[in-house]
Amino acid sequence: MLIESEQLGAVEIDDTKVLSFPDGLLGFPDVTRFALVDAGDDATYFWLQSLDDPQLAFLATVPWPFFPEYEPVLSDSDQDALDLQDPGDAMVLCLLTISDDAVTANLLGPLVVNAVSRTGRQVVLDGDLPTRAPLAAI
Amino acid sequence: MLVLSRRTNESIVIGGEIVVTVLEIKGDQVRLGIRAPRHVTVHREEIHAEIQRENRSAAVVGDVDLGRLPKPSAGA
Repeated sequence: MLIESEQLGAVEIDDTKVLSFPDGLLGFPDVTRFALVDAGDDATYFWLQSLDDPQLAFLATVPWPFFPEYEPVLSDSDQDALDLQDPGDAMVLCLLTISDDAVTANLLGPLVVNAVSRTGRQVVLDGDLPTRAPLAAI
Repeated sequence: MLVLSRRTNESIVIGGEIVVTVLEIKGDQVRLGIRAPRHVTVHREEIHAEIQRENRSAAVVGDVDLGRLPKPSAGA
């Protein structure tokens, strides 16, 4: 499908790159379909472009290059909602916030995607994790 | 809002399947035990609010210089 995105311009989205977030994101309950588009060429950063609102996009990162100790543990209800049979099917992305002086990642509320069904969910982890963890290459 | 008074070890039942029990009261702090089915998520309200706020901050507005994003170190 062709989308006209504020951030990406006109891009053709392969159906296999469409992710469904049935519950939306926290604070964005009605935004349920996203395209996942590479940002950069090393598979670290992604655009999460809303297909419901062409003006809405997020930048996300795979957390482990920056936070190798990060071990999100999913609750039973999250595993059920994602229908995750095999943890290997889970893709984890953290949303980025870019401010004037920092780029930070939300480690408390990561996005977890079942890569097989392409269904995703923003989960809320237990534990004392930051919503603004500065990205620092280690 | 429904307001109920409960003592330690007393519970309330919500929707027939969620049980909230007062475990301990110490000063202005109350410890609650919550028994809920697997499909019900239970979180502290302020955590939810914090993630909502952060999501709003994360929504990309305007141009972004992707060159500002740090590069992960090689081999990571």
